[in-house]
Amino acid sequence: MPKPIFNQTNFFIALQYLFARKKQSFLATVGVMLGVTTFIVMINFMTGVNDFLDDAVFKGSPDVIISGKQEGSSKQQSLGGNLNTLKNIDQINTLLSDHDNVRSFAHQIISPAILISTTNQLPGGINGVFPLQEHQMVDLNRRLIEGRGFESLSEENTILLGVSLAKRLQISANDTLKMILPNGKSEQLLVAGIFSFGITTIDNVRTYMPATTLQRLLGKENSITHIHIKLKDRDNVAIKKTLIQKFEGSTVEDWKDSNKTIVIGNKVRDILTWSVSFALLLVAGFGIYNIMNMTVFQKRKDIAVLKTVGYSSNDIIFIFLIQSIIIGVFGALLGAGFGYIISYVISTTPLDTSDFIIVDTYPINFNLGYYILGLAFGVVTTILAGYFPSKKASQVDPVTIIRGL
Amino acid sequence: MILEAKHIHKYFHEPQKQQVLNDVSLQIDEKELVSVFGESGSGKSTLLYILSTLDTNFKGDLIINKESIKTMSPSCLTDFRNAHIGFVYQFHYLLPEFNVLQNVMLPAMKLAEKNRDEIKEEALFLLEEVGMKDFGLRPSYKLSGGQQQRVAIARALINNPMLIIADEPTGNLDQKNTDMVFELLKDITEQRAKTVVIATHNSKIYKNSHRTIEMIDGSIRL
Repeated sequence: MPKPIFNQTNFFIALQYLFARKKQSFLATVGVMLGVTTFIVMINFMTGVNDFLDDAVFKGSPDVIISGKQEGSSKQQSLGGNLNTLKNIDQINTLLSDHDNVRSFAHQIISPAILISTTNQLPGGINGVFPLQEHQMVDLNRRLIEGRGFESLSEENTILLGVSLAKRLQISANDTLKMILPNGKSEQLLVAGIFSFGITTIDNVRTYMPATTLQRLLGKENSITHIHIKLKDRDNVAIKKTLIQKFEGSTVEDWKDSNKTIVIGNKVRDILTWSVSFALLLVAGFGIYNIMNMTVFQKRKDIAVLKTVGYSSNDIIFIFLIQSIIIGVFGALLGAGFGYIISYVISTTPLDTSDFIIVDTYPINFNLGYYILGLAFGVVTTILAGYFPSKKASQVDPVTIIRGL
Repeated sequence: MILEAKHIHKYFHEPQKQQVLNDVSLQIDEKELVSVFGESGSGKSTLLYILSTLDTNFKGDLIINKESIKTMSPSCLTDFRNAHIGFVYQFHYLLPEFNVLQNVMLPAMKLAEKNRDEIKEEALFLLEEVGMKDFGLRPSYKLSGGQQQRVAIARALINNPMLIIADEPTGNLDQKNTDMVFELLKDITEQRAKTVVIATHNSKIYKNSHRTIEMIDGSIRL
């Protein structure tokens, strides 16, 4: 009657071998641990950064933007202040309202302007928005630093500023500032609130004011320049093609076009994480492979004896493979634990703000899935690394070994 | 009759083709203590590996307990060896990671017909028989050669095999230990009713065996 390979006796023998070489077993375990720890820390951190950027950039920005096509040369526009107003707005509205993948959309009129405070004057892009629509696009309340959010824009002559812009203008909520538009008109505005997306490039230039005020000042009542669209499934941008085909007089951009650097950055971080982790686990795997190979070589007499007294080739494979698996499981568990601890420490470490992002501590993503992946990764590597030496062990020919002495 | 070899031919292919056993036929009865002797290179070790089913790469047939081992699959053969054949080698070959008691228990743990406690009891009894009872918890590498060989004999007996094969069991021992080991093997044959086959070139051993088989150049001298 065949007995199962996984039995107490084989397990007992494997453990005995493992403990007889405490130092080697320990070092092999540490090798796996380092691999898994690095994997966990890197992936927690890298995906933390990716998620942070996703949240800051993509949640604060539309997925697809339709804008009026520029007519004439760019020089003409910057001098004359001609706004590229959108045509066929009604048709676009109908198409967007009926489209399955559109979650919400908002009209905007965007114009360059110069903002003047008592101490400074700066150029900026002014987003004229319809507060109720825009509220569905951007969750500004979460990002508000002082004052009020979009609800304040229901009053005329109000403006919301990005935090970096406000700082440079040395202005805070409830102050006033003066805005000069390209057509020469100027207006006093009340700073109703100050917000921060955490990304300097946004906080430096973005402003919101009521579209109605901007339309009136520009003399472009009922005109808009942009439609911002949020999609239900952001990765499916098929709508872009439809819009381009139907409305040739407008420009359509999706989030990938407008955030190429961030999309590429995410990709680079992903590649880095996977390749470094893979390399480390490979090294740990080779460590185990080496140790097991050496053990099998040193122990070939013992293997020969085990075979003569009745241990089968499969028993031998199991006895040596289980040693690798024990090392792998322990190393991976320790690695996941250490990875969590280090990630936690990093997540509480204050981050000296760079120019690019504004955040208090390092962003970390503690997704459980990565821990499971790290464990699986570590265990699979060690099983592969242990299998070949074990296979070799099982092929030891007892007669050759016993005769060889 | 417990064992029968029929016209066994064996060749080595490395470094060049060479015949090591030439038409060897023999029969061994139960409760026999048989010595195989001859000079080194006479083929006695090779014959022993074949008789002990470790080497199956030969021409001819080997029948143990009415079964031809040529008809058995490798895994069957492993189980067969585990249950029915005990080994004693020239170089003792205890596993250094295990203590004396564990070394004796290993073949029975593989057989798994008894539970751990029963196996342990049996192993302690055998260690007492070979005079090694007090050394049970010692690491096996801390024993002298003669002591190790006695433990190896206890290990060979643990599954109560019908056949004990010993390859130069005293080859590495002094006269006193040689006598002791041979006495043990003789006792096993007579009191435990086993068949023992010993390869040796110690004259004292083959003179005191029930029967001797002399090997010359790969053949049995008649």
